[in-house]
Amino acid sequence: MSGIEAVRKIVETEGQAKRIVEDAKLMAEEILARASEEAQKFRHTSTAEAEQRKVQMLRATREKAEADARSSDVETDSLLENYKKLFEDRKDVAAKKAVELVLGG
Amino acid sequence: MAESLERLHNRILSDARLKAAGIVEQAEEKSKQILEESRAQVQRDANDILSRASLEAENIRRSVLSSRIRANRLRILEEKNKIVQSVLKSVEQRLSDIARTDKFESTLKRLVLEAVEAVGTDNAVVKIGFRNAEKKSLQSLGQSLPKGTKLLADETAIDELGGVIASDPEGKMSFNNSFKARIERLDNQLLTTISSTIFGE
Repeated sequence: MSGIEAVRKIVETEGQAKRIVEDAKLMAEEILARASEEAQKFRHTSTAEAEQRKVQMLRATREKAEADARSSDVETDSLLENYKKLFEDRKDVAAKKAVELVLGG
Repeated sequence: MAESLERLHNRILSDARLKAAGIVEQAEEKSKQILEESRAQVQRDANDILSRASLEAENIRRSVLSSRIRANRLRILEEKNKIVQSVLKSVEQRLSDIARTDKFESTLKRLVLEAVEAVGTDNAVVKIGFRNAEKKSLQSLGQSLPKGTKLLADETAIDELGGVIASDPEGKMSFNNSFKARIERLDNQLLTTISSTIFGE
């Protein structure tokens, strides 16, 4: 093998080596791009899930509060009904006592 | 010569492959790190969203309940007040009709004596005004009053419900013992009496 051929062979080999390293760099870029894409996708999914849980939580809380409020309405209605009965039963006694108090007798 | 060239060729390629493997390995490590950091951040963000949602939920619960409870308390107070006012109306009606009852003379005497005593003079002037009062009731009263007391019968009921007003002869000092004035003075006691009788509180 002549010296020229040897040099050509080495130059070819260097080129081959350079391509191997360049390919590896491309692969590395792809790996990082995939990782970023995956992270982004994961962020979207998790955020959407959390937002959905938030909506459910707020809806459930409002429904429960509304139910408790309705229960308070029912209790109040019952109390007011009872007041009306008490008034009918005791209004004369109350008026009599109040009149006595005013008369001071 | 050919043999050493072959070794050099292999060495160059071997170094390149080693370097390539290092580059890929480093990228994979970096990729793993990106994913781990991203997951941790996403978890923190989700926790933050849910924690804020919990606070918001508590605010919603308080807002819904407190406004309804407030409204119901108001309904209760309004109903109680309506009932008490209704009883007070009845009390006023009974008081304004007192001249028709057998309690009138004793009541009149008490009101006049109280008023005269409050004014604290020997020559008190007492104005008397009740609805449907008969003159003879006033005449019988004259005997039980301190000497010098002057009675003036009014045709109309004093302060709408009836009562008496005593003053000194100059009119500088007076004591209003009308039912209206007595009701105003006894306001708190009356409300308590009516309320405790009706509601048992």
